[in-house]
Amino acid sequence: MATELSTTQGHTAHQHRRTWRTPMYTLTNYLFILPFLILFVTFVAGPIFYSFWISLHDWKILAREQPFIGLANYINLMRDGIWWIALRNSLYFAFLTSIINTIFALVVAMLVNAPIRGRDFFRFVFYAPVVLSVAAMGIIMSWMMNTQFGIINYFLVWLGLPPVRWLADPNLVIPSLSLATVWWGFGFPMVIYLAGLQGIPDHLYEAARIDGANTWQTIRHITIPLMMPSIFFVFVTQLIAHFQVFGQPYIMTGGGGPGRSSYTVIIYLYQTAWRYFLMGYGAAIAVALALVILFFTLIQFRIFGRRSVIEY
Amino acid sequence: MNQYRVYRFLMRTLHYAVLIALAIVVGFPIYWMLVVSITPAAEVYRWPLQLWPANPTLEHYRAVFTRQDLMVDRWFINSVVVSTIITVLCVFLSSLTAYGFARLEFPGRNTIFLLLLFTLMVPGQVTLIPVFLLVRSLGWLDTYHALIWPGAVSVFGVFLLRQFFTSVPKELEEAALMDGAGRFRIYWQIVLPLSRAAIVALTIFVFLGAWNDLFWPLVVLNSLELRTLPVGLTVLQGTYIQERALVMAGTVIASAPVLLFYAIFQRRIIQGVMLTGMGGR
Repeated sequence: MATELSTTQGHTAHQHRRTWRTPMYTLTNYLFILPFLILFVTFVAGPIFYSFWISLHDWKILAREQPFIGLANYINLMRDGIWWIALRNSLYFAFLTSIINTIFALVVAMLVNAPIRGRDFFRFVFYAPVVLSVAAMGIIMSWMMNTQFGIINYFLVWLGLPPVRWLADPNLVIPSLSLATVWWGFGFPMVIYLAGLQGIPDHLYEAARIDGANTWQTIRHITIPLMMPSIFFVFVTQLIAHFQVFGQPYIMTGGGGPGRSSYTVIIYLYQTAWRYFLMGYGAAIAVALALVILFFTLIQFRIFGRRSVIEY
Repeated sequence: MNQYRVYRFLMRTLHYAVLIALAIVVGFPIYWMLVVSITPAAEVYRWPLQLWPANPTLEHYRAVFTRQDLMVDRWFINSVVVSTIITVLCVFLSSLTAYGFARLEFPGRNTIFLLLLFTLMVPGQVTLIPVFLLVRSLGWLDTYHALIWPGAVSVFGVFLLRQFFTSVPKELEEAALMDGAGRFRIYWQIVLPLSRAAIVALTIFVFLGAWNDLFWPLVVLNSLELRTLPVGLTVLQGTYIQERALVMAGTVIASAPVLLFYAIFQRRIIQGVMLTGMGGR
């Protein structure tokens, strides 16, 4: 076969027998990946390295020169009080939201996985907010959480409770954003859990029932241990996703207010790069952010191995 | 035994009660968005709040379409056009490339694939500034090129589809090769149809992601008439915050298409999440 298919006589040869290992075909095989590869190098791979390069410069978009300053941006970042506030807020928001979502979505998934009437309807409702854009979700929730005119406080007062300053109270603003985000997003981990729950073989539950286990015991000793991989997976991917929060504070708290109490890393990146046009410093923020996320990803790898990488 | 049945009955009732209460809580904000958007402006700020407006009105929808600095109809069309182009390009390129990595041999295949995997670990924010500078130097700022070309690259899409394509039986392809079909034809007529579930899921999530994206269009678009809906909504929320009902009408217009889309394809969407682990954001 190899003699039959040299490149020089390729034209006549490939009329008869096509093999894709010959040099000529390997070249045409590149055509399948080439268009993607060009875009990939231009918009993904190249920029990843370029980002680091920019961060080593005092790069201002309108300046004539972009002087090289080594690691000065990173050193400044470590001394930058706003960076630490933003990091703290992002971590606080990410952990709070992820913990609530991880647990709450599991409970709801178990509730809708049971053989009950209308279960498709409930799933439909619970996933619905996920398809809304963050802009729409933020507008809806910020109005509902309005201290003076919001309907949540209206219900609280109606129940005889004091109104809450959801987004106006510096101590409550992140939990409030978190609450809004849970409403918006818990349907997604719920469906991930449903996939996991459906993978648990029925005979385990039957055996437990025959042995006289009650509902709680079944959940405690069968469902939760078998769902542990899904639970970890959901937690880490949620953490990574919510750490990158931008839209909620941008829309709901006027970009991180009150004061800086909901100011997040991506808001800081946005303002540095696109309000003050400090691209070098912004790139340093982006790289630092990536390092934090990489740390979470490594934890994920340690737990699951490389096959579990998933973009949220 | 009787006691057990009573217990079962109570548990079941409780189960339903919890689910129904939860469905009301989760569905309420969407309902409330609709209600506020049809409440007369003066009544939005008046207690007691009306769970259904006494005098429902469409004035805010009319206002949204007639105000000079609100071009909701334009934004809507922009969103449709941009999201559709991104989706078609992205799904086509991802599947073509995934097929290349799954079935074809060429020098450096594994190295290139490893590079792809590596970039999957790097969060997207790292590329924002360099891509912005690139787009700027290409003169693409405030044009749809800035949204479309970077948006057409989905490493995750390639990764995902490659996994599905490898599970297509090789025998089918070999049979087609024998019959004289070219590689592209095999990809187009055999592998794609056999991986329909994955392709459909990817299509849906890429579309939802493009439709809902806020950050990137916010950064690269400037002209009022070029904006997509999410960026347009920030104008509403910023400029018209005092006219809540009007803001809500805009939000309804932006959300209705995705909610409708979701209502029609909900089964596929939920199955798609299970299949791919994507969520559409």
